[in-house]
Amino acid sequence: MLYSGKMDKAIIVDHLIKNFEVTEKKQGIMGAFSSLFSPKKKTVKALREISFSIKPGELVGFIGPNGAGKTTTLKVLSGLLYPTSGFTQVLGFDPWERNPKFLKDISLVMGQKNQLWWDLPAIETFELNRAIYEIPQKIYKESLNELVDMLDVKKILNTQVRRLSLGQRMRLELVAALLHKPKMLFLDEPTIGLDVVAQAKMRDFIYDYNKRCGATILLTSHNMDDVINLAKRVIVIDKGKILFDGDLRELVSRYAKDKIIKVYLSKEYDVKQLEKIGKVKKIDFPQAVLVVPRATAAAAAAELLHHFPVADLTIEEEPVDEIIRKVFSGEVKVSKKK
Amino acid sequence: MKKYLSIFKISFAQEFAYRVNFIMWRVRNVLQILLVFFLWSTVFTNPQTELFGYNREKILTYVFGIFILRAIVLSSRAVDIAGEIARGDLTNYLLKPLNYIKYWFTRDISSKALNLSFATIEITILYFFLRPTFFIQTNPLQILLFLTSVLFAIVMFFGLLVLVNFITFWLPEGGWASQFLVIVIFTEFLSGAVFPIDILPEAIQNVLYALPFPYLMFFPLQVYLGKLSMAVMLQGLFISGLWMIVLIIAMNRMWAGGVKKYSAVGR
Repeated sequence: MLYSGKMDKAIIVDHLIKNFEVTEKKQGIMGAFSSLFSPKKKTVKALREISFSIKPGELVGFIGPNGAGKTTTLKVLSGLLYPTSGFTQVLGFDPWERNPKFLKDISLVMGQKNQLWWDLPAIETFELNRAIYEIPQKIYKESLNELVDMLDVKKILNTQVRRLSLGQRMRLELVAALLHKPKMLFLDEPTIGLDVVAQAKMRDFIYDYNKRCGATILLTSHNMDDVINLAKRVIVIDKGKILFDGDLRELVSRYAKDKIIKVYLSKEYDVKQLEKIGKVKKIDFPQAVLVVPRATAAAAAAELLHHFPVADLTIEEEPVDEIIRKVFSGEVKVSKKK
Repeated sequence: MKKYLSIFKISFAQEFAYRVNFIMWRVRNVLQILLVFFLWSTVFTNPQTELFGYNREKILTYVFGIFILRAIVLSSRAVDIAGEIARGDLTNYLLKPLNYIKYWFTRDISSKALNLSFATIEITILYFFLRPTFFIQTNPLQILLFLTSVLFAIVMFFGLLVLVNFITFWLPEGGWASQFLVIVIFTEFLSGAVFPIDILPEAIQNVLYALPFPYLMFFPLQVYLGKLSMAVMLQGLFISGLWMIVLIIAMNRMWAGGVKKYSAVGR
């Protein structure tokens, strides 16, 4: 609803490369001294020719280990970093130009960066943002009320920011970032440092915001729960390259080579016998967890039921985070996407 | 424009959040003026004494004038820019439809407004306390020229400060050292904040007048005191106006280069 009919891609990234020049600092006083006179420059290749595109209204999860290039990508897309080469377009703009019209339509929330004024109540920052983004008074009030309700922060609006807990602050940060109703939202680790309840609240909110406002959301997280619960489509990135881009379920079905059998035994049994069936991952009587190849899972289950004192048995998919961990650690080879 | 009015307000509110800090800063200013006041008061104990073209009345007016000018010209928030760049907080501003230089200029103005209002109260109290004889300028043209020179001074000091702070784009750790050099050494000693510049040897004075520093405090005050001929005043305004333009251009250039250099800290 927010988009003019013409634009069929909210984000286009084509062969994007980003290198950083880093000066290496040697250890110790002598090292510091020598790097003062002959600084050693090193090029870090943060992004190595990545390409993808995102449709308006999509919610895409960006996952990868530390240093994979997730945050760098978000920074390039929001106009903070100048790309070394390649093409990027967000909402029809070149992000680096930082056109005021573009900036009014985007928002980047970083779990570790705050824009709220530390010494003042959050409401002051909101007022300031109203002025900076030139939000009409009426729309500002509506937008603020809506966000305050959704994030449940009414009681803390007038409290000095430095007196708030991290979870409270994160929610207020989100209000500040969304007051101008961005069409494009970049979320970098939005649940970092939050407890489980606060994480769930944050996720509900992001999901809701995407549905309600039709905003395009690109989200990075270490927390697999965020990705699993929110994104249908994921982009897996490691060492500056895209390893996978597609449906989360497809990722699972393609790389989940194993199944998990959880079995409850009615009496204690020799572990050695169980190992003949599959890899025993955990044994904690009466429960045992076995990993078996996908193809033979049914046969293995049958065998268990036949030869062991089984009280209960379930066959489950491997957890998504486990699969992703394997992708990153190279345990499963990734064929180039689609 | 409304944007910057809101920035003015929030900046004002924030200064009040550090009340103790602000009060200590004002106390420091009052002590400073007392020190300089008693120093010169002792030198000019005899009302007939005249040194370097100053008599008791004019030197004491100079001291009080510097006090007011300090609040207007030298009180500034832009010193925080270096920290914002080094810590990566600049990111927050780059994401917004906002001109960073204008943002800080607005915050400077807000800081000046606050400081000036306090300085006015303090000086009224000090006046009744010390009972100095004051020189009041009544010539409207002189006052107009004085106000113009103060305006130039404000912009020049802001420009100098911002340039020094922008060094952080290239040398993240270099902010403090260069700030100390420019603010403490150059502006304090070469602007006339501690002593009138015309007590220095002529050769040094001539060099100084080609630099922006005397035009921050000394020159505006000389205009107010009516110690300069029309030709000298116009020449001074011309030189400081030129510096102002140079500094504004340099500021924008350095910003453009700096932002390109800037890569937000973090992973």
